[in-house]
Amino acid sequence: MTWAAFTSEWTKLKRKTLLLSTFLGLAVAASLFVILIFSQAPATGSGGGLPSLQQLARPNGLIVGVDRAVMLLGIVAFGIAAAQSASEYSLGTLRQLLVRQPRRVTLLVGKMLGVITFLLLAFVFAAVVAFVVAVVAMHARHGSTTAWFDGTGMTDLFRALGNISLAVVGYSVLGLVIGLFVRSAVFAVILGFAWMIAVENIITRIVPSTEKWLPGMALEAVATGGGEGVNYSHGILVAAVYLVVAIVAAALIFARRDVTA
Amino acid sequence: MTVTQATRGTGEKPSAQLAVSTTGLTKRFGDRTVVDRVDLAIPAGSVCGFVGPNGAGKTTTIRMLLGLIRPTAGGGSILGGSLAEPPTYLRKVGALIEAPAFYPQLSGQDNLRALARLGQLNLKTVAPALARAGLTARAGDKYRSFSLGMKQRLGIAAALLPDPELLILDEPTNGLDPAGIVEMRGLIRSFADDGMTVLVSSHLISEIEQICDYVVMIRAGRLVHQGSVANLRATQQRDLIAAPEHDADLEQLAKLLEAAGCTTTMQPAENTVRVETAGLSAADLNRLAARNGITLRQLAEQTRSLERAFFALTGTDDAGVLPGQEMGAIK
Repeated sequence: MTWAAFTSEWTKLKRKTLLLSTFLGLAVAASLFVILIFSQAPATGSGGGLPSLQQLARPNGLIVGVDRAVMLLGIVAFGIAAAQSASEYSLGTLRQLLVRQPRRVTLLVGKMLGVITFLLLAFVFAAVVAFVVAVVAMHARHGSTTAWFDGTGMTDLFRALGNISLAVVGYSVLGLVIGLFVRSAVFAVILGFAWMIAVENIITRIVPSTEKWLPGMALEAVATGGGEGVNYSHGILVAAVYLVVAIVAAALIFARRDVTA
Repeated sequence: MTVTQATRGTGEKPSAQLAVSTTGLTKRFGDRTVVDRVDLAIPAGSVCGFVGPNGAGKTTTIRMLLGLIRPTAGGGSILGGSLAEPPTYLRKVGALIEAPAFYPQLSGQDNLRALARLGQLNLKTVAPALARAGLTARAGDKYRSFSLGMKQRLGIAAALLPDPELLILDEPTNGLDPAGIVEMRGLIRSFADDGMTVLVSSHLISEIEQICDYVVMIRAGRLVHQGSVANLRATQQRDLIAAPEHDADLEQLAKLLEAAGCTTTMQPAENTVRVETAGLSAADLNRLAARNGITLRQLAEQTRSLERAFFALTGTDDAGVLPGQEMGAIK
């Protein structure tokens, strides 16, 4: 039954406009980011906060700078996921879905898995395109990519991809849950963006010790493999607690709430 | 449960098993009681009209039957399954709830495929459902390009996907033009011919009168009446329509009848008077007119419409229907 809800969700997700805008949009954004880093990178040292070509040529060169794009990736994942769940209310399609699948938790789980796999595939596609663009950009700057393809380079690359994928799952789940709570795609996206971009930063500036306990910071730590403020394992733990609480609350509310839309 | 058990006190004869039965079905939103102790008894195989003004509680009742809204009190069974366990019966139910709602960017066909997959139905059911609703030629077009009538028909097609035993249609003629209404009426009749039980809600009583053999009347959340349309008509008083030979006698005729204890409504356009007889027979009326020198050119009995029956049963009249609750109809 969960599989039926999953495939039903994919029937909706694979529509051309959403598929192209998400997959190509993310791939273009990631590629532009790569082009910016590689074209502006100084030969040595660091300029304007950008890594040098020397740093980029190291085994982990490909993932240098990724942490700067994590917030953007999170916002995109959150926004798309929130829109997917909230629009079922605003379009009124939820009542159709619940007549065909009255087991609400089954429907919710199937929908979540559908949206999460969609976003994961979009990010993996964007990563592959960005990787190819990075190789071309590095050669255009006459830099070496040899270290990227040795054992350490590939290990670092796959670890980074794994971490970003985990974070994408986290952002997607939070987006789906917030969309379900507020039942308005626009409000959900505004709420999510405001929280991640402004509210968490304000809170951590006022009370720095809260940095370790906020969901956005935790997911950022997961995506980047851990930072100075929040280490990786702590980030994973905090993010997991938030996600479990969010999923349980969403399931309880979704299962009990009257559908009047 | 049979009709006998459920229609006790309604004067109905037992005829069939019930497709829908509820006992004390109630829904309150805060302090507001939207559906108040409704006992439904809808026979299997009937085309049941569910009528009442806008805001009477029809949609809330339907949503409770479909498991979308949790009843505050009461229960019931649908196609043998408990109302408290919608998964036990919804596989055999098709529904169009209020305005049709689909994904605008998907084609009509893909919208139905998504629903078929969700309900674990064979995807081969999509094409016949579209054909039945007359949408085969436009199946591949995006939903957002559909006219209101086509959207409504896609809603019907979606309801037909599980080859339902019970079809619940909530205001299926809303927003349709006269041709669309006639078309929808034909479709609903064809479902009944196929043996489905059809529950069709509407605030247009005369619409219901034309397609239904059973009727449930609701007002302000309370059940007013349920039973066969034929029985309801039989129990209703008949009105007399009288037309004097000379137009000038119309007012005098009305006054005579009022003095005899009847309620009259002058219809000057047709130069007739409608008489709620209060026991007065056609022969009595004819004699009364003749005694007072009025010759009648027409005297006919007329069965009250369901609309008038509704007002009679609720003890209200047209003026009692609040603005926005008019009960008009396409004639």
